[in-house]
Amino acid sequence: MPRNWPIPLVLLGLLLVFPPIASATGLEFYTGLVTKIMIFALAASSLNLILGYGGMVSFGHAAYFGVGAYAAAILAREGVSSAWVIWPVAMVLSGLLAFLIGAICLRTRGVYFIMITLAFAQMIYFLVVSFKQYGGEDGLRARRPDFGLFELSDTTLYYLTLAVLTAVLYALYRLVNSRFGRVLQAIRENESRAATIGYPVYQFQLAAFVIAGVLAGLAGVLMAHYTQYASPNLLAWQQSGHLMMMVILGGVGQFWGGVLGAATLLIVEEILQDLTIYWQLGVGLILLLIVLFAPMGIAGLFGRRAR
Amino acid sequence: MSLLVIEHLTRQFGGLAAVNDCNLTVEPGEVHALIGPNGAGKTTLINLISGVLPPTKGRIYFDGHDITHTPQHQRVRLGLARTFQITNLFKRYTVLENLELAVQARSGSSFRFWSPVKREKGLREEAEQIAELLGLTARNHTEVAQLSHGEQRQLEVGLALACQPKMLLLDEPMAGMGPEESGRMVELIAKLGQSVTILLVEHDMDAVFRLARRISVLVYGQVIASGPPEEIRAHPDVHKAYLGDDPGGKHA
Repeated sequence: MPRNWPIPLVLLGLLLVFPPIASATGLEFYTGLVTKIMIFALAASSLNLILGYGGMVSFGHAAYFGVGAYAAAILAREGVSSAWVIWPVAMVLSGLLAFLIGAICLRTRGVYFIMITLAFAQMIYFLVVSFKQYGGEDGLRARRPDFGLFELSDTTLYYLTLAVLTAVLYALYRLVNSRFGRVLQAIRENESRAATIGYPVYQFQLAAFVIAGVLAGLAGVLMAHYTQYASPNLLAWQQSGHLMMMVILGGVGQFWGGVLGAATLLIVEEILQDLTIYWQLGVGLILLLIVLFAPMGIAGLFGRRAR
Repeated sequence: MSLLVIEHLTRQFGGLAAVNDCNLTVEPGEVHALIGPNGAGKTTLINLISGVLPPTKGRIYFDGHDITHTPQHQRVRLGLARTFQITNLFKRYTVLENLELAVQARSGSSFRFWSPVKREKGLREEAEQIAELLGLTARNHTEVAQLSHGEQRQLEVGLALACQPKMLLLDEPMAGMGPEESGRMVELIAKLGQSVTILLVEHDMDAVFRLARRISVLVYGQVIASGPPEEIRAHPDVHKAYLGDDPGGKHA
């Protein structure tokens, strides 16, 4: 059991009672904002797995996020209404894409890895935008799917997202503390030695890359449900940068880094956007301060150092 | 049957053949030293045998397998483990965490995603045994970065040992050590040599002549002589290339 285990439970409790309280006080808007934060928390946590725990600086994570969203939207457009079909298909597609891209990119290191992941993500972006029948640069509207068990309203989507995020974080927690997780982190610490004591480095990195891709795809599906729309922006390199900023802000290789980073960045953006049209300057300044004064991110301010 | 056989092994870096048509055999159970002047290609040869580098030409056989193109991690599984001349450890991890990683690598699949690795008592116990053998038990929970140079070198050997190899490739284990630390390392290698075959690259001639049952001399990427220490001491080409022309060395 981690030392600070009550905090996530309290947070979970608060999130469970948030929607009724918000709607009772006329603040329904914030239920949507929290849904969005949770979706990005999921996407950023998936990036943190490879970036933070695996030391793989992927600058193309938007590809899997966006492909998840587009898979959901395109299936809906083609008349598939069951989420029980849409979800697995979208996740498998994102995972497959991560496998193909990872299999090539992981043969490179350093700056080359960053550039080639970015290049692949850009290829996916332009490929998707070129499909005029799926909206091209305008994006694609997508009805919410049918779950069979319940209607996917704003509120049920909120709870669904919360359930998915909780389950994924629990699984990630198990993963980073498992044999696999330990090896992944050891490879980050010293790749040459990890290979020398008998670990097939490439296989471990690729496996982590695919897991991260699947989870980002899942976040993308939720995003498509949330906005009822798949936007090319989800695939753009700025989105990759956005996710990366969240991880850096929250704490690279810190378990709660993705969650804290997504929450902080989206809330700050929300506040600054209301105040000024130069809000991006403010976001930049905050990121700068974090990097200078809290190199292990917001999570690093609380917990022990990352391992 | 020889444990390690190297045939016509060549590694070219651009125009330079760091290892050039090199032949070498290591018999099971022996401590075999590989000596040679700086730049003779000793570390390149270790990199070729351990699979860090692919050879340009030639073949490597280990324990009856042709491992010329076998990936590095599989060579470790076959029982071939190495150390580095420049200490290469998991610096932010403790001594035990380092050893546990190496133990884990050879005990079952590490593609296990769910159970907490910290609860695996077996890994911890084996790591503790190796730390004891190394004489590092008092430092079990110390981060590697806090260890002395000598202790880091001990652990460097320990990580290779934790792979339970049939053969250890030791690349200058005494590098940068004072006399006292060197002495401890010689003791450790002598102890290991009783149960594991060792190929030892070392500049410290006292250590080499104390430990080795056979010595091979590498010059310009080629083994120019190979034999028991007395023979190598007396070998004229070796003198010229490496030990210097002083004939007094014969009686040292």
